[in-house]
Amino acid sequence: MFTTGSKYCFGIAGLGSLGAVVYMVLVNPSDVGVLALLGIAIAMSLVGGVAQFTGDFDVDSPNDAVTANVVAPANSMWPLVLAVGGVFLLVGMTTDPIIFILGIVIIIAAGVEWALQSWAERASSDSAFNRFVRERALTSLELPVFVGGGVAIIAVAFSRIMLAVSPQNGAILFIVFATAVLIVGFLVSLKSNMKKSTIAATCVLGAVVLLVSGGIAGFNGNREQLVSAAAEDHYSHKDCEASESKYFDKNSENAVSMKSGVTATIRVKDGKLTAQLIGIDTQVQAVTVRRSNSTTILFRNLDDAQYRLVANLGTKKIADTGVEEEIVDCTQMTGKNQTQALILKISKPSASSGPYTLTVPGLEGQEIAVVVP
Amino acid sequence: MSHDSTLTDSQQNLSTFKKVKQVMRLRRFGLGLAASSAMFLVGCARNAPQDTWQPKGDNAQKINKLDWMVFPLAGIVGVLVFGLIAYILFRFRDKGQALPTQSHGNPAVEIALTIVPALILSVVGVFTFKGIFELAQTNDTQMVINVTGQQWWWEYDYPAQVVNGVEITQPIITSGQLVIPTGTNVLLRETSRDVIHSYWIPALNGKKDAVPGRINLLRIQADKPGIFAGQCTEFCGLSHANMRMEAVALGPEDFAAWIANQQRNAEAPAQATLAQEGEAVFLNQCIRCHQVNGLKKADGTAAIAAPDENVYSGAAPNLTHLMSRNTFAGATFDLLTSSCRKNVWTASPEEFGSAYLKGVTTDCLNQTDLRRWLRNAPEMKPMYADPIKLARSDGKYRGMPNLGLSESDIDKLVAYLSTLK
Repeated sequence: MFTTGSKYCFGIAGLGSLGAVVYMVLVNPSDVGVLALLGIAIAMSLVGGVAQFTGDFDVDSPNDAVTANVVAPANSMWPLVLAVGGVFLLVGMTTDPIIFILGIVIIIAAGVEWALQSWAERASSDSAFNRFVRERALTSLELPVFVGGGVAIIAVAFSRIMLAVSPQNGAILFIVFATAVLIVGFLVSLKSNMKKSTIAATCVLGAVVLLVSGGIAGFNGNREQLVSAAAEDHYSHKDCEASESKYFDKNSENAVSMKSGVTATIRVKDGKLTAQLIGIDTQVQAVTVRRSNSTTILFRNLDDAQYRLVANLGTKKIADTGVEEEIVDCTQMTGKNQTQALILKISKPSASSGPYTLTVPGLEGQEIAVVVP
Repeated sequence: MSHDSTLTDSQQNLSTFKKVKQVMRLRRFGLGLAASSAMFLVGCARNAPQDTWQPKGDNAQKINKLDWMVFPLAGIVGVLVFGLIAYILFRFRDKGQALPTQSHGNPAVEIALTIVPALILSVVGVFTFKGIFELAQTNDTQMVINVTGQQWWWEYDYPAQVVNGVEITQPIITSGQLVIPTGTNVLLRETSRDVIHSYWIPALNGKKDAVPGRINLLRIQADKPGIFAGQCTEFCGLSHANMRMEAVALGPEDFAAWIANQQRNAEAPAQATLAQEGEAVFLNQCIRCHQVNGLKKADGTAAIAAPDENVYSGAAPNLTHLMSRNTFAGATFDLLTSSCRKNVWTASPEEFGSAYLKGVTTDCLNQTDLRRWLRNAPEMKPMYADPIKLARSDGKYRGMPNLGLSESDIDKLVAYLSTLK
């Protein structure tokens, strides 16, 4: 009476309704979760009704499939994989969450594969038809996973190599790699009669070279500059007395994140300090900063001398001592035509411990007021 | 004879069955007609303050013009497509018939079904892109307002600037109702303190997301004085549906008066009054989150709110001029009684300014809702304000908790809040 598809939909609808009742009793009758579960139930009832009316989803194909199943199930590797997943799960519980998560992923994947394989093997007595059923059900799941996994492995291996070599050699390697891919692709498209085994061997060889190189690079670690820069923590601007970092990111103004949330741009030009607010063309001497909100201020130096922008944000009491300490934040030293960002989050209004100001050491007597309403 | 009589019974049964089937069909048709008529008639609602088809400013007008071009086109395509789907579903439904001859590919149909939508989309695309660029321009900005969303209310702060000759010397901070001058290109700089929200006043422009860490720009302009409703349009948690807002457009003189009032600090209530007692309650309870500019502690120092210590977003509405706006709690509830609210909402453009600037007078104060709110805020508006369930937000509230105020304290607070004009 009911088609396979409609049974599936009505089943989910029933489960949703039951879930909603359980949720109402155990959690909260007026929670949004109840609405979500009831929504699922209603939607699936509708889809099930349409499927039943139109006879759609009837994938049983009783005319095609043979009801008797006389083919013995084939050997399966999935129980073994499932067991490995279980080991990962147990080991992960006591060691590393990543291993635990990997165990869950393996168990789910192996469970799905095993269940669908078993289901397909009992679909009919025709093993070819059964293979077709299995592939139709699983290819759409397997293909994206395999492709995604392959791309991820290649990306990780390649990134290890790029992080290990110098920026100049990295650029050369990138060009060589891209050219090799282009040439191989071009040759394959030209030679339509090329043996599949030749293409496969080339791809495998390339993948092995990439993976081995990536492994070696990963084992050796990042290049010296990156290690030193990380140790120096050059992204931190807290130490206003420190000199310019050796590893200062001179291209930081190109970062999208820096440009996307800018409240104001502070400029030094011909020894004068000015501010410009986004949306207002004129120069201003006061910047309004929203309370308790991350606010990005850009500092752009157009003069020859190096400057840094300093935010003077009042004072605070050091816990247990009662000593008042000045709150100061600043950019790094900034050369000509360079830009640095200062990200402020001020939780108290100017009236409490202000006035707050932006100053540039070396440009005495000039300041931009920071107003926090 | 008996044979004839049996035939007659069968015929009668068949006739009855056909009649029943006809009645059922008529009923189904009637139901369908009633449902579609109801949906159609919804479009005729007169009290529809968020109607996107009634633009009240230049930016919304641009969108409206585009709508009038795209909507009929999309409507025709939609009716054709859904009609065809319904017809095919019904006509070719599975009735146990044999599988028809299968065919694959029809170049003529495929080319036609590619070219026709491409042509339609090209025409729509040209006008849409033109509209997008026009709505994105900021070089004609005459006023800037910072708009900050948080669960579940909007804060507006007006940086120091000169607007149409009126100088804002001290930044103004308010919430719930956005007040703008008429005929002025206003640039809203939107961001959020917690999750993504979306700002939408349909009568003035389209939607724009307020995203933490980003500043998104939205220009609005109102032709005439009036009040325009809107609501958050990005699901933002428990009380998303209650995160409302209103834009109030005032003529130049009325706007100047509003600016002058907003730049004043709150005045201390008269000595030995209920309001003064309410001020003490406010200093004891409400100041933990709500700022009132000019409010002083008993020792004479400025009372500074600390929402950053108590609220997840780090902010709570500034109440310095609470009674100058008509709503509270994220513009969800009216501070005005229904009759006074009606006077404001239905005022002519010429009379609107004076009606709005009256603020909330004593006889117009909606004491019922305000008292209920003070009595138990989470009961009126769903919020994450249960003190024992704050672990996921670092022990901070998302919304206003139940303060457990006594009726006496509520009386005093209402008296004090009424003075915040």
